[in-house]
This record gives sequence, C-alpha cells and structure tokens, in this order.
Amino acid sequence: MYRIELLPGSSSHVTPGWSYVPDRGVGPAKAAIAPAVGRKRGIREPGGRGNLSSRQSNAIIRHLAELDRENHKDVQIPVPARQRETAARAPRAKTTTNSRRILQSQKTFRNYLDDEEAALAQAAQTTTQRPSVSKVTKPTNLRRSSTPAQVVASKPEPKRQKKVPAPTTAAPETTLSASTGKEGKGGESTEGKEKEKEKGREEGEGEGEGEDGEDAANTLISSPFDNDPLLRSYIPSAPSERIMQALLAEPPLTYNASRAGPSASSKLPRGFCCICGYWGKIRCKNCHLRTCGLGCYKVHEDSRCGAFF
Amino acid sequence: MGTSKARQPTKTAVPKIQPLPRKTFIIDNGAYTMKAGYAPEFPPPEDEDTALSACSVIPNALAKTRANKVFIGSQLSTHITDWNEVTFRRPVEKGYIVNWEAQRELWEHSFLDERTVGSEDLRIASPEETTLILTEAPNALPVLQKNADEIVMEECGFGGYVRSIGPSLNAWNEVYSLFGDPPLQKPDAPILPVECLLVVDSGYSHTTVTPVYNGRPIQRGIRRLDLGGKHLTNYLKEVVSMRQYNMVDETFVMNEIKETVCYLSSDFSGDMEKTWKANQRRLQMEPDESITVEYVLPDPNAGKKGFMRPHDPLLKAKKRKSLLSGATTEALSEDVLILGNERFTVPEILFTPSDIGLKQAGIADMVLQSLSVLPTGLHPSFLANVLVVGGNCLLPGFMDRLETELRQIASAECVVRVRRPKDPIRSTWLGASRFATNREELEQVAITRQEYLEHGSGWASRKFSGAIKAAPYLGLT
Repeated sequence: MYRIELLPGSSSHVTPGWSYVPDRGVGPAKAAIAPAVGRKRGIREPGGRGNLSSRQSNAIIRHLAELDRENHKDVQIPVPARQRETAARAPRAKTTTNSRRILQSQKTFRNYLDDEEAALAQAAQTTTQRPSVSKVTKPTNLRRSSTPAQVVASKPEPKRQKKVPAPTTAAPETTLSASTGKEGKGGESTEGKEKEKEKGREEGEGEGEGEDGEDAANTLISSPFDNDPLLRSYIPSAPSERIMQALLAEPPLTYNASRAGPSASSKLPRGFCCICGYWGKIRCKNCHLRTCGLGCYKVHEDSRCGAFF
Repeated sequence: MGTSKARQPTKTAVPKIQPLPRKTFIIDNGAYTMKAGYAPEFPPPEDEDTALSACSVIPNALAKTRANKVFIGSQLSTHITDWNEVTFRRPVEKGYIVNWEAQRELWEHSFLDERTVGSEDLRIASPEETTLILTEAPNALPVLQKNADEIVMEECGFGGYVRSIGPSLNAWNEVYSLFGDPPLQKPDAPILPVECLLVVDSGYSHTTVTPVYNGRPIQRGIRRLDLGGKHLTNYLKEVVSMRQYNMVDETFVMNEIKETVCYLSSDFSGDMEKTWKANQRRLQMEPDESITVEYVLPDPNAGKKGFMRPHDPLLKAKKRKSLLSGATTEALSEDVLILGNERFTVPEILFTPSDIGLKQAGIADMVLQSLSVLPTGLHPSFLANVLVVGGNCLLPGFMDRLETELRQIASAECVVRVRRPKDPIRSTWLGASRFATNREELEQVAITRQEYLEHGSGWASRKFSGAIKAAPYLGLT
C-alpha cells in the first residue's frame, strides 16, 4: 500500500510536483517521527533532527514565501498616467527596442532566476562556466601559480616576533576553523616573505590595533616560556599580494551559490508555542504544532488545530 | 534574449574621445528607499553631517491608499496621512531592480522631471553631462545587470556610468575613527579605501556579508541570508494578527511598530521567562523593568500618531470602570497592542533563522562562513574591521548581539570589533560620494556613453565585473 505525498522541492516556490514515497504504516501526520523512535522521544526532540515531514517542509516554505510578500493581498498598482501624458521627456524620448522590451517586461525576480538556473544547467552540461562554491574552496591551482619560487628555510622575522616568538621552519599550523587545504598554504606562501611591507601593513591594521598596550608588553617582557610550543599563539601571516589579486579577480558566485549555508552548530532548532510564543513544550498529537501548556493547547485545539498541516 | 549590442547612434558619432562628465550623481537604489544626491568636489567635507546633507532618502515605492489614490516616491512622505491599509509596489525585488517600468517612473519623478523633483539638489538637468554611480546588491543575475545598463545608457542617457556592488563602497568611508585607529589619510591625499573591511549589510530584502579588500569585494566570500527588514515586519504582522488584532493589511503601521518596539535580546531565555504570562502575574514586576509594552495604534481620523508606552496590566479594568462611570471617550477610542515576547523573538530570526524553519545560518555564523573560504591570514584583519550598515542594525541590541556572537565563535587569537557608522542607512551613499572624489579611481571603473555605444552592453557588464581593466590596481603606497 502506497500513498502519495508532496515532496518539497529545492526551490522556494511550491510547484505541484508529485512523487511516490513508501508508507511507513503510521498515520500521515506521524510520519514526521521516525517509526523506530518512541512517541515520547519524538516529542522531546523537536524538529525530528532535521527530518521534517514533507508536509512540515512545505508549510515552512509556504510560510517563508508569505514572509517575503510585499502586501498581504495581491494588488496591481499601475504607474500613474498623469506624468506620462505630459511628454516632458520628449527631447530624449527615443526609446530603443532594448529598453522598450525591458520596460514592458512584467517578469518577476522568480522568472529571471528560473531562466538563470535553466541557462546554468544547460551550460553545466557542456562546460562549467561560473564556479560553484564547492569548486572555489580549494584553490590548488591558484596557489601553485601564484607562489612559484618559495624560500623554504625561513629565517626568523623581527616583525612577527611579537606575536610568534620563535617561528619554526615548519609552516605555522593554525587553530582556525578554515578548510584545511588552505591553512598551511596561507602561512607557507608568505613564509617566503615576498611582500614584507604588505604584511607589515596587515599587521598594523589587523592585530596591532586595539590591543597595542598588551602587545607592547608582549614584546618587552621576555619569559622563559616564550618557546613553549603549547603557549605559542598561531596567527597565520597575511597572504601575498599575488594571491590577493587572484582572489579579487574571481568572477562572482551565482545567486544560489552565494546563499548562506545551514548553520554549523549542532544546536537543535527551538520550538515555540504557536499561540503565545513561549517555549513550545508540548506538541499537539494531531498537527504537531507546539504549545507551551494546557492553557494554550486548549485554545489551539478549539480554534486552530489542523489549520496548517 | 534581445540583442546585446546597443543600437548604433544614428550618424552623429563623435570622432574624438569624450571624457567622463565631471558631475557625479549617486543613487544607492535600495528596495525600501533610494539614497541619492550629487557627489561633492574634491576635498570632500570632513564633517559627516555636511557630507550627508547632499543625500536625500526617498521611498522607492508606489503606494496606493485606502482611497485608491496612487502616490509615488517622495510623495509618500508628504501626501499620505492615513497609512491604514496602504499597499505598496516596489520595483526592487530581493534587492535587485526587476521592474524597470516602475523604477524608471520613480527616477523620472525624483530626479529627472523638473516639475516633480523635490529640490534643486536632486535634479539631473542634463543626464548627458552627468556620471551616474548606481549601486546593486552583490551576486545579481547577469540578465538584471544587463537590463540596468541598457536602461541607464539608452533610456536615461547618462554621459558616464558606474555600476558597483553597494557594500564595497563603504570601504571608502572614513572608518578609522570609528574603529579607534589612527587615521592613515594625509589631509591632501586623494581618498583611498581602507584595506580590509568586512561589510555586513542588513537591509530590507536580505542581509549580506561582503569582505572588501582595498575597496574591491572578494567575490568568493560574499554570503547572503534571505532575511531582511521586510521579513521582520511581515513576521511581526503575522504574529500580532494571530494573537491580537488582524493587522495583515497594515504593513506600514506594523513597520513603525517594529522600529519602535523591537530589540535584540542579549538574554533570550531570560527575557522569555520575564514575558511569560504566568510569570508576569507571579513576579509583579515594576512597570519600568517589565519588557511588555503597549503600542497605541495611530488614529488617522483624530490625527494621532502611534506611540509606545509601558504596559499597564490593569488597563482593561480601568477602561471598564470608566465606561461604567461614563467618563471621557478618549481612553476608550484608542486601540492598544500589547507586545511581550514579540519584541525580541521577531528580530531574533536574523540570528537564529531556524526559529522560523529557514535552514540558513544566522548573521554571525554567516560571517564565519564567508571567512572560511578566504586565506586564514586574512581572518584577523577582517574580524577586527566589521562594519554593519543597513536599517536593521538600528534595532537596539543588534550591535552588541553580533559582537557577542562573533566573539564566541571566532578564533580566540583574533580581535573582534563590530562597528556601525553614524548613519548606517546612508553610509553606502557616503562611501560612494567619497569614492567619486577620487577621479583617477573613478575613471578606471566608469564607462562613458561613447564607449557604451561603441562596445555595447555585453562589454559594459564585463567591464563592471572587472574582467576588462585598464591597469590592475595594486593597493596603496
């Protein structure tokens, strides 16, 4: 026995696309909770850890589209004709075909974006033109070309000493949470000290300022622990000017690629009472909306239950 | 797709090369308001207020009132007194100019048509002798960029034109004093951009993060959260409509309420407990420390504006009493919204989009996402120079919240400094106006009308995206 369920698309508008999904044998609304998990656990773990049912996802998409609206109702506001008739702009009213086409176009952003996506998908079949995020994040070729000859054995640099007391020959490792491919690279390439003056500026701006008092103290008082590898602070040096030029010359990402990704933190989504906005402690057994207590649940049950899901 | 070549000029092709017009007009074309005005002459005014006096903020919308009258642009602020049920049409969608029919009409009305232009400072008498600097949101669709170029050059006929990503223009502002650094600028030297600036632009349609290096954006680091002021207003509207009065048609009124009452909480769960109805009865808080407030809705018939006041839990009882005693009708006629947790849960979605189910990172997380694709060597300088612009950062608590969250998730070695310019709404315009005083830089990116007619709009897009360059710009000194 199968049932038909509307799956949310990746795009934010609801298109009536149907697909077949195996029935898990529970009531339609309960499909949100994985069947193996007990009922109570499902209530305690809000949002089902990202496993929202298609109905819930669709409701969210609809809600977001609702928030994106300009007016609550669809209204047509025509451009007032009063100004058009006055023909004040007659001297240069030589509308070209291009601009007439643009001015008469009633396309929305959604239409343009769909066109763009279609064009990109077509281009991707033949050649990849505009880079996507995943491709950009590992610029191996970029680095190879930009730092051809490196001075491997790096001598200790006086400027860096205030932050990194004793630079070792190894490329400085970082504790920053960047993609690992780049960390060593960023440090290594500037180890070559191609652009010392640039680095000096960088330091003066980024690190020196705001805590100069503390910095001065660091440089003045030397302690026996300066060389302790555990106490060393690893601030990577700024990339060279050539890398910066390469970065600046990159083409823009596409509209969709520049959208911020999901949050990295593993915090669970919070649930709120759908009536009063307080923490949603209990979940309605019918529609899975949350309420804070029996008072709000009563209101919900009497008036709004089933309104959304 | 139409032809990408511009129509050739009829026959009066000018033989000699035309220079870029000296007068520069700047339009920061936001979705909610346009910030526009002429750029100053070379030494730009030291004082920010003087510099900003040339910049006007004009609503970028057509509005239809309850009486079915349509108003346009600056008329919105002068002609409309009754804001109930006003509906809007905005040419800018999602931050990008989409509907040129409306946008051209707004430009006509605000800048070109001498009978409707508000002041002489805003009038573009002869576009042929004016260079236009137009801002756009990052990551625009190429089609929309092309449309913009074609309209500006062919329909409006500007003599010179620069289309630039808005946030990156902020780097030309004088931000050293804002961050408490010694100024690098020599008094007579031309204006130069700061070296590293991370611009967070939280506007009407979305919030973007743009790393700017020497005044140019690092494209791979630009990230966008699809939430902005519009979503906050709509969310507040929705919540209030469900809990109290039906306000779904009162976009403007709700926007004012949002600007008056909303704030970003630094202690979310604490504030949540304070506003819980059960706790309110129990704790009996002093009215001035209570979070819950009342907003008295505007009454256009009596000519009264809306305002906020501390919540009086006994208001209803008092009302009833005065009704029984037959007192004045004044207190009875006013409509009051009681706002408790709505005050901080609504703007909270900017920092925790998962609250409304949006699977995107909040602003602070987004900053780190943007930095994660840049060399680690740049992280300290960007984190120490975070500039926040756009109307949303005027919400109380926004700056503190962003700084706190960034401090928590950023690497401990890095200094985190988050600042907001004095006028975050016009900051991009101000940056553009300072940029315009540096003729050398301006001429590198600008195109003239002659060049456009010669090479067409495809060339113009490549030029503005930086693919065609006179000479690569190599930093300062």
